[in-house]
Amino acid sequence: MAAESPAAAGPQIGGRRDRFWLPVAWIVLSVIGSLLVLLVWGPHMPPGDQSTSAASQQFDFTILATIATPVVIGVLLYLGWALTFWRQKPGDETDAAPLHGNTKIQATWIVGTAVIVLFLAAFGTYELIVPAGAGAGQGPQPIWKPAGATTSSLTSWTPGTSNILQVQVIGQQWAFTYRYPQFGGFETTQLMLPVDEPVQFNVTSLDVIHSFWAYTLGVKADANPGLNNVAYTTAYHTGYFQVRCDELCGIWHGSMYDTGEVVSASAFMKWAQATRVQLADVTKLLPPYADTYDPTNLSNLGAVNVKLGLVGAGGGYYNPADPEQP
Amino acid sequence: MSLPARAATLVVAFLAVVAGVIFVAFKFIGAQPAVENYAPYASGGQVNVTMMTAAQTTVTNKPDWVSYFIKNPSTGNFDHTTYFEVPADTRVNMTIEGYDGCTPLRNPLWGKVAGTVGDVENVSFFNGKTSTPSTPLSTFDSWANCSVQHTFAIPGIGLNVPIASVTTYEENSNLCGTSPCTAANQDANAPHTVVKFSFMTPKTPGTYRWQCFVPCGLGYVDGNGGPMGTPGYMMGQMEVQA
Repeated sequence: MAAESPAAAGPQIGGRRDRFWLPVAWIVLSVIGSLLVLLVWGPHMPPGDQSTSAASQQFDFTILATIATPVVIGVLLYLGWALTFWRQKPGDETDAAPLHGNTKIQATWIVGTAVIVLFLAAFGTYELIVPAGAGAGQGPQPIWKPAGATTSSLTSWTPGTSNILQVQVIGQQWAFTYRYPQFGGFETTQLMLPVDEPVQFNVTSLDVIHSFWAYTLGVKADANPGLNNVAYTTAYHTGYFQVRCDELCGIWHGSMYDTGEVVSASAFMKWAQATRVQLADVTKLLPPYADTYDPTNLSNLGAVNVKLGLVGAGGGYYNPADPEQP
Repeated sequence: MSLPARAATLVVAFLAVVAGVIFVAFKFIGAQPAVENYAPYASGGQVNVTMMTAAQTTVTNKPDWVSYFIKNPSTGNFDHTTYFEVPADTRVNMTIEGYDGCTPLRNPLWGKVAGTVGDVENVSFFNGKTSTPSTPLSTFDSWANCSVQHTFAIPGIGLNVPIASVTTYEENSNLCGTSPCTAANQDANAPHTVVKFSFMTPKTPGTYRWQCFVPCGLGYVDGNGGPMGTPGYMMGQMEVQA
């Protein structure tokens, strides 16, 4: 800022070199840098573009990085310029020009930063909503739903219709399992999704809080016991994606990950129908499909289990006086 | 106190603290159960591993914690550990002697055998007097029946084996009371099951964690605490050698 007052800082400061070449250098470098970020780095930014939500997040990161580029270049250029040209001469103990009272600089700073911050607030808010909640868990009653997916029958699903595919994600120490209510409610350790079809994830937990994070799909939703957390996405491309737990949930939290796959709609239908048959014997043992499950309230307990006092998988098996009992 | 004496005291105190931290780190935090190395005993692309479940761990300071034990391939004794080592790309013929009682599975999905050769386990029941022939089973209804005591699951290779339990109230009320449940403890004849299954180890060497998916440890809804969350009891590691 001292450069703005040539009278106080010396004859060469604030001259043509500073007033012309400094802004020119900033503009040229900013244009080059922003174009590089936008066109070269942007398409490679995480989480990629495997789904609507992932592509949306990649777009957000690209825009934010593009906007930040001139700011970063301005700061670094100004620093380098000051270190190079405005070094204090030996014996020169004069102060720089005070900012107080320089209305032009103050107004420029306030307006510039306000415009940037307000734009980011508006842009960020919009991008959190579009598309369909941006892949984040919206709780049990989601507000932003995928366009075109108007119905959600729990009894069947056909590709290419407005009936959205339901996938329940069940967190438990230490694995995710997946339930497909529209295919008889089978539960499996495999996560398969059809390409170009909207998917509704219903995320819950049987024990502690987990977090379902399919990061290359741009989907992240906490798995809370007793709560259905809904998130949406539509996969753009076939291929594999990683799923991780993103909430510290116990000693094997770090191992709580698996690999999902996006396949064609026909391949998905083939897999779902085959898996439904393959798992039929265990599906009939599962509790009826529900948004949440209470492991302390098991149904259809047999007589021996009841006689042994095993009334719930969350029940206390030890004497309450046991020092290990929480 | 002179300056050298104060400096020496400070150095000694500092070293004592460092030594204490190192001791705690190695003694407690870095401690892990012993590893039963079955790799040298593999032959013809197969290796036999034997484990045991017990309703208690009387050999430790947690006597009321359920636990797995692994037979030492060298001595034949059951050691209190859940770590074992096997060769890669090898068929593991597992035998688990199940001396614990039944408990409902939190998630009935884990009542289905998966990832074993033929997707079955072979179970023999011993009621304290007689044994039944080994029978292949693939699905257990642990809610309707007293049928499952634990599971042996290696998520990394898709293995899930519900460990069958003895089924009657009387059998579950007369379980082995001293662990490991061996003839030496006069508990080998307590009601139990013998579960046998086979699976292939991965071709890639590495560490594969295994765990029990039944929350039978402290049995509270807020998670698999106690023995369920403690290596050496109801979880462990399978080290796969090259």
